[in-house]
Amino acid sequence: MDDLKFPEILLNSLENGHFVIDENFTVTYWNRWLSINTQITSEEIVGKSLKDFFPKINYKILQRKIRTALRLSTPTFYDSNSNTIFIPIVRNKVTKTALKLMQQQVTISPYIATENTVMVSIYNISELHETKLSLVKEIEKVNELNETLEHNQDIIDKNIMIMKTTPDGTITDTSSLFCEFFGYKKNELIGKKASVLKSGNLPNSLYKELWNTVTHEKSWSGEVENLTSTGNKKWVQSRITPILDDDGVLIEFNAVYQDIENKKLIEELYITDPLTQIYNRRYFDQLMNTISKKQRKADTDFVILIADIDHFKSINDTYGHQVGDEALKDVATTLKGTLRDNDVIARWGGEEFVIMLRNIGLEEAQMIAEKIRANVQTTKVCDNIDITTSIGLTKYILGEDTNLTFKRADNALLKAKASGRNLVLTEL
Amino acid sequence: MNTINFNEDQIDVLKEFMNISVGQATSHVAELLDAFGTMHIPKISIKDMSELNHIIVENIDKDSNYYVMKQLFSGKFGGECIFIISEKSSNNLGSHLFDIEKPLKDDITDAVMELTNIVTSSIISRLTEELNVEVQFFAPTSNFLQAANIVDTDDVNTYSKIIVVSTELEFKDHNISANIFILTKDEAIISLRDLIDKKIEELYS
Repeated sequence: MDDLKFPEILLNSLENGHFVIDENFTVTYWNRWLSINTQITSEEIVGKSLKDFFPKINYKILQRKIRTALRLSTPTFYDSNSNTIFIPIVRNKVTKTALKLMQQQVTISPYIATENTVMVSIYNISELHETKLSLVKEIEKVNELNETLEHNQDIIDKNIMIMKTTPDGTITDTSSLFCEFFGYKKNELIGKKASVLKSGNLPNSLYKELWNTVTHEKSWSGEVENLTSTGNKKWVQSRITPILDDDGVLIEFNAVYQDIENKKLIEELYITDPLTQIYNRRYFDQLMNTISKKQRKADTDFVILIADIDHFKSINDTYGHQVGDEALKDVATTLKGTLRDNDVIARWGGEEFVIMLRNIGLEEAQMIAEKIRANVQTTKVCDNIDITTSIGLTKYILGEDTNLTFKRADNALLKAKASGRNLVLTEL
Repeated sequence: MNTINFNEDQIDVLKEFMNISVGQATSHVAELLDAFGTMHIPKISIKDMSELNHIIVENIDKDSNYYVMKQLFSGKFGGECIFIISEKSSNNLGSHLFDIEKPLKDDITDAVMELTNIVTSSIISRLTEELNVEVQFFAPTSNFLQAANIVDTDDVNTYSKIIVVSTELEFKDHNISANIFILTKDEAIISLRDLIDKKIEELYS
């Protein structure tokens, strides 16, 4: 090294460790950085074996790396991420991390091939390594969060009915539960309009209200009846939320649905007469109360009919209760079949039925009542038993207590009974 | 980027180059790692970078973990070598080089790094020697990855062509399969093609 004064100054001024050794590990050069950081001076180590100072180095591997560098005339390297530190140097920097020893990148470069010497260069990469470790930790955290998120998404997908659409209502995504509930495969729905699910039983006004709400960037909630892939109808509680981008532009609708089939069934049972499958008195009372309270003009134009099967007791006594039940069912079917779509019929109790004819004048109502009476007269219970009905009717007077309306209809019915039955009478 | 193509003759010559380079690498491995072994005739192909993911998936088992070494080399023929070796092969290599039955993970990484160093240096040095250009090798980086995470999108965007070297080394009782992908930029691949053309001219003149 005597004839290399200039390079020595250069190597001594570097902020890296550099030393030269031969294949027998004899040190022939040791720079200033190493003297400072290892507390071993050049005078102490040059001419001696590295083994005497650093016995823990795996010399078999070091020798292999030296030979590779010399044989291939190419640098060889130690893994810079390794926990095995080549030459342990305590870090000066105060650090909160576990990295107390200097992390090193060690490169072995061919030096003088004829002398079989290599230069071992040690670079301090502790800060880079610390950054890498903290990055790895952060990535692990992100991965954990992603795993949790994926798990949660999976739970949502399997347990919540969700449908996403474009602003024009084209379906872009559905959850697995949604597909399962409506009997579709996802690819059968993607690209279709959400309206394919409409049952057709709900009034257009409901859809208008829904559309008006969501296009004004508000969420809409309500019960809707949808169609399954096989044409069955299913009730769902839906909440449709418009999704806006950062500029406030509507980009999609997210709809979350809940199965309310059981709720609807219970509701249906609550207002249905189990024998005749028409509304029960409870439903009719609720309807009348609502009308009476709200007094909306469109709802208050109606006529009430009370129909009573003539001599029902004797049918029961003569043919038994089973036939009596058949008579009630047949009459309910006949009445229902004679009414218009908007009219409401309920079993009032025993053999009495109550009917609300909506938006109708008294004269037309009398004609319908007469038709009902005639149709019942032609009905044969169990194919051979004749049956008749008496009907009392009256028109609701705007603002009056509905009990008064019923009272008048009932009076008319009593008069029809007293006048020989199978008769329609009106009380004004 | 993908307009630089190699014709059949050029690919044949490249394969010849690579065979010689891999042969040299084999003898270096045998000599330096004290591993008397053979390296099978490699399968060589040249592909567009956009195919990297597909090629890697084709060459490895997607459910396994791999040691992935990346070593940059700079100069006129600059690029990056990706050396992919399965966990099992790496363990075998670690056992052999560290002479212990169950090597530590750091030992395995270091063993793979040594093998990478020898194989890539041999191959690239041979190529650059033929190309008559200087090349500088940088310290390799090591990663232990799942197959799906091997491809880095930065690689795909940085380079244009891949020279795929798929080979198998046999060390004593151990089979070690490795795949080497040499990622190159346009300039390097043009130099390589020019060199190949020169060799073809020499052959036919």
